[in-house]
Amino acid sequence: MNAHVPAGKRRGGHVVRILTIGAHAFTQLARMKVFHFLALFAVLAIASNFLNLPQHEGPESAGAAVLRSIKSWSLGAMTLFSVVIAVAATALLIPKDIEDRTLYTILAKPVPRIDYLAGRLLGVLLLLFVSLLAMDLLMTAVLQARTAIVLGEQRDMAAALGWPHDAVESLLAETRAAGPGWPLQGAVAAVFVRAAVMASIALLISTFSTSTLFTTVVGLLVYFIGHFQADARDFWLQGGEAGEGAAARLASLALALVLPDFQLFNVIDAVIEGSVVPLATLGRLVLAGGYYVVLFTLASWFIFAEKEI
Amino acid sequence: MSEPVPAVEIRHLVKDFRTSFRRRPLRAVDDLSLTIRAGEVYGLIGPNGSGKSTTMKALLGLMAPTSGSCRIFGKDSLKVDSRDEVGFLPENPYFHKHLTGVETLRFYGRLCGLRGRALDDRVVELLDLVGLTDAGGRRLAGYSKGMLQRIGLAQALVQEPRLVILDEPTAGVDPVGSRGIRDLILALRDRGITVFLCSHLLEQVQEVCDHVGILCGGRIVREGRLDDLISIEDQTEIVIRRAGADLVERITALVGESPGASIVRSGRPRTTLERLFLETTTGKEGGA
Repeated sequence: MNAHVPAGKRRGGHVVRILTIGAHAFTQLARMKVFHFLALFAVLAIASNFLNLPQHEGPESAGAAVLRSIKSWSLGAMTLFSVVIAVAATALLIPKDIEDRTLYTILAKPVPRIDYLAGRLLGVLLLLFVSLLAMDLLMTAVLQARTAIVLGEQRDMAAALGWPHDAVESLLAETRAAGPGWPLQGAVAAVFVRAAVMASIALLISTFSTSTLFTTVVGLLVYFIGHFQADARDFWLQGGEAGEGAAARLASLALALVLPDFQLFNVIDAVIEGSVVPLATLGRLVLAGGYYVVLFTLASWFIFAEKEI
Repeated sequence: MSEPVPAVEIRHLVKDFRTSFRRRPLRAVDDLSLTIRAGEVYGLIGPNGSGKSTTMKALLGLMAPTSGSCRIFGKDSLKVDSRDEVGFLPENPYFHKHLTGVETLRFYGRLCGLRGRALDDRVVELLDLVGLTDAGGRRLAGYSKGMLQRIGLAQALVQEPRLVILDEPTAGVDPVGSRGIRDLILALRDRGITVFLCSHLLEQVQEVCDHVGILCGGRIVREGRLDDLISIEDQTEIVIRRAGADLVERITALVGESPGASIVRSGRPRTTLERLFLETTTGKEGGA
């Protein structure tokens, strides 16, 4: 009997299997030409350079306004692309594996279902990370170049108007603050965390959904509702003082417990306006995001473990 | 001395599927019990919808039995470690079309804990075994149905399993490919690997299986050694090469003299259409 264990073969650990499935999902999505949307982002980032914004302030503020516009367009596009990719890509993977029967061959190997789910999610997160990294590099390059141009124009303007040295330095410092920097990287990290939460929500939906379209639509609906989560929580904490009944309070509580609070990610808007997001705030955001990703992945496992394939 | 652990042990397996609220559940497998000893080639045959695939899925832990149990080499098939020693080829496998043949085998090998040089060697060995060495670098999107079936077999064998489960392994494969898969099954048996085969191609099952179970309406209606099931007890077959008319006449006379004996049929045995096809298209003899 062929009962020997071949050289090099030993039961791989959870991490090895998750990484293998994750790398495979990443390759699958990359070869489906998902990265082509990066070209669209490049066009948007460069186009935002040439926008003529209406002027409500003095000419000295025009440069910083252009830089804010570039950040706003770029981070907006990053949010849109990352959320759509997170939901659509995750919604696609499991139904496709079932339809193609590749799930049979994967789960017929010694692969626990949680490893399969975590691997698929990891693949999407890798895709999001690489996509956001590429977009971040492009945005930073465009901002860097434009900031240098704006600084030059402001120096010329100040010299022509005979501004005192302190005033010139103050203006230049304000412009530099609106340019690329660590707060901007924090905002990109927040975009990634939000997309990761959305991917884990799509993973959960896809474990009981019957189609990719259903998962995508419900996923985007959850994203929309998630922006009202904080309102629901506040309503509950206030104890229904407005006179609503216990049922309404319970519904608000359920909504607040099940759905992540996407208003936490409003720090991105603050960064666009030039604010510096404290590291502690960013840390709390990452922790909250991690909590939701783990929560939804475990919930996915709970359903998928019983799923008959 | 204790009995060796069977490769497969299914006990009183029942599987019901829910349909709608009002109607009774559909019973796909009904109190099925079977045992496959290590090293056997077991064929489970039956018409479409008889419960073959459901039985296989329950055995692989892809679905939970309504009642009863399935064990692989003594391990409960609902536990992940029962699949350490199992290779599975589903019916009409598609696999991930974006991967090449080599990448596909490497992916499944890694899932089974293979890595490094051992994995590289195993991939080369398997591609050679299934005759896809030249196509290993091509994406599966460009593979024919027969090639997909062969890469499917290769992935089933990647971790050198002791049990191989094949669901309709020659579905959609041409006679040459089908013969190749048949030879591979026989080679696996010679190496002591247990094969559990589901098919409704009866000729093929007859060619390779030691034991057969006939499934109908979710129940095993006949089971046993193939030779015992299909031999006709009161008849004897003698096939003679280059028998002249004189010899045939003498044998006929001899039979006529024996009390109770009679010739049921005589004439030239026919080859099979498959054998003729293989001899014509490949120039090789199609086997015994």
